[in-house]
Amino acid sequence: MQHEAEEKLGDGLIARWVSGAHLHFANDEARKTYQARAQLIIDTIRLKDTGKIPVIPAATQKFAFDYVPVTFREAMTEFDKAFDAYVRQYEDTDFDAYVGPEFIFPAGMFEALAWNRVRLPGIHLPDDKSFQFVEAEYMKAEEYDEYLDDPSDWILRKYLPRLSPKLEPLAQLPPLRNMLAFFQGLPDLVLAAAENPGVVDAMKALQASGESVQEWYEYLGRIDQELGGRLALPHLLGPMAHAPFDIISNYYRGWRGSIVDMYSRPEKMTALMERLLPWQLQYGIDGAKALGHPIVTLYLYKGADSLMSEAQYEEFYWPTLKKLILGLVEEGLLVWIFTQGKYDSRLHHFKEIPAGTCLIHLESGTDAFLAKEVLAGSQCIEGNVSSALLATASVDEVEAYCQRLAEVCGKGGGFMMDFSAFLDEARRENVKKMIEVAKRYGRSSS
Amino acid sequence: MPQGLTDAIVSLRMDEAVTLAKRMLADGTDPLAIIAEGSEAMQVIGRRFAEGEAFIPELIMGGEIMKSISQEVMPEGSGPDTQSSKGTVVIGTVHGDIHDIGKDIVALMLGMEGYSVHDLGIDVPVEDFVAAIEEHDADIVGLSGLLTLAFDAMKSTVDGIAAAGLRDKVKIMIGGAPVDENVRAYTGADGWGSDVGHAIKLAAEWTDGGA
Repeated sequence: MQHEAEEKLGDGLIARWVSGAHLHFANDEARKTYQARAQLIIDTIRLKDTGKIPVIPAATQKFAFDYVPVTFREAMTEFDKAFDAYVRQYEDTDFDAYVGPEFIFPAGMFEALAWNRVRLPGIHLPDDKSFQFVEAEYMKAEEYDEYLDDPSDWILRKYLPRLSPKLEPLAQLPPLRNMLAFFQGLPDLVLAAAENPGVVDAMKALQASGESVQEWYEYLGRIDQELGGRLALPHLLGPMAHAPFDIISNYYRGWRGSIVDMYSRPEKMTALMERLLPWQLQYGIDGAKALGHPIVTLYLYKGADSLMSEAQYEEFYWPTLKKLILGLVEEGLLVWIFTQGKYDSRLHHFKEIPAGTCLIHLESGTDAFLAKEVLAGSQCIEGNVSSALLATASVDEVEAYCQRLAEVCGKGGGFMMDFSAFLDEARRENVKKMIEVAKRYGRSSS
Repeated sequence: MPQGLTDAIVSLRMDEAVTLAKRMLADGTDPLAIIAEGSEAMQVIGRRFAEGEAFIPELIMGGEIMKSISQEVMPEGSGPDTQSSKGTVVIGTVHGDIHDIGKDIVALMLGMEGYSVHDLGIDVPVEDFVAAIEEHDADIVGLSGLLTLAFDAMKSTVDGIAAAGLRDKVKIMIGGAPVDENVRAYTGADGWGSDVGHAIKLAAEWTDGGA
């Protein structure tokens, strides 16, 4: 429980993040630039009228890789090359923050486990294509009760074996809740391990996968030091959490399964979302503490305008999402809400969250001008510059659209310039023009 | 009672709809008549969708109910009725992209609208599109992709269809969240759409126009 006088977790984290205390700055100028940028981002989320429009990158991916160039495959396996790509890209583009390779996971993490939820460049796809997630029914409709009764058991003995053939032997373990009887049930557990050599192999596969992650984390740390400490760019993408509906739909039941469940077993689905909620909240809070980062990012998937009715959004999607956001805000944390797909009809819900606590990302399908109208004085918005526009349009077309965005959405503060989704194929001159329009705004209108 | 089946499907009551269908079969109703009844119910849902009164979950759930009913009443391996088809569509997600949701919905809806739809799946090589156009004598080709990286794959698919000498035979639509008129021009497709409504409209224009 929080007390009025007590400093909230988020307050300390914001101060630390803005100070850059976690970085070794190349020089005083880098420190000052970093601090000014970080403060501008916080002030913009807080809806202060700074007279400036920060420019942030949703995720640059192939756009960055092309600076070396490196393929998607190499970006997931040869971190030194990918490191150079990100450094060169951010040296060449005047963003006010960075998002790095947080989603360009190490290929070894998946490969060691033959993880079947992903299709990888170099294995299933050409080297120059992005890895992609596979959505399937990993939890059967009749398993809701089993999950609700003992989630860890279901995850260990059902979910993991379905996600990875290397982890199939875990299904042979006895439920850990059986460690209750004579000698704590130890004979059953160790016998299961001894009788199934695959259990040991499964542990070795986990270890190998983990070693890839260790190497990758070390690389993310080097990127943070280089982009933060030398190029003075605050790291925008920190801890994460998920809307409970998305967890069920993306990771357990698949989209079709989650739709059928809304009609066929709504009580079970709601019970599971309520079960997931406190865990997600804690996951976000723990992530913020571990990373020393005050902005928790929520990528939203299945609640877009076209994916369910408003009534379904209000019954199934929003209630636990709202509680999750409110829980994070209660801790003093800020929330980067990454809406995906058209979100026009849902925007008004974000007014139910205390003002100046959220940064709402808009993809190009959402009407940014409507969003400004709906959320002015309530939450900061960002994004919307179409990836297709940046990839295929002329510099003049990009300038015209961004200029309109800056003038309308930038008015009075509470707006950041950003593109719609992954940059990938964008033309450099278009991205630079988008940035230039945002920077010009501060000089010409204040 | 046929009315009961229609109502159960339109109201998306899965268990009731399947039970009714099984009872009709047991009472001697022709399986094709049961499926026809179901298809009419699906058209009601489709019309509501077109008018903005129903949403994708209704379509998906209706499709799931119809799938269950078909499994119960239709003999193994029965194919779709193509005699009264408005036209033949070959659809797929282009190579290098494995996203299927948008493509599946467009395929489902075009099928409900009376087209004969051949869904080639995801990550479809150019040559598979070409082979399917020839095999099914397609009128319309739907290329789907969610990634901006799919633009080049769409373009190479359109080019491949042209290289096979089939470009004048088919109308090609591209679809997916990131596409727009610029992307259509880049890929050389005939039309584009960012949602299922666009796809249906284009298909109707192209087939009526040719009739």
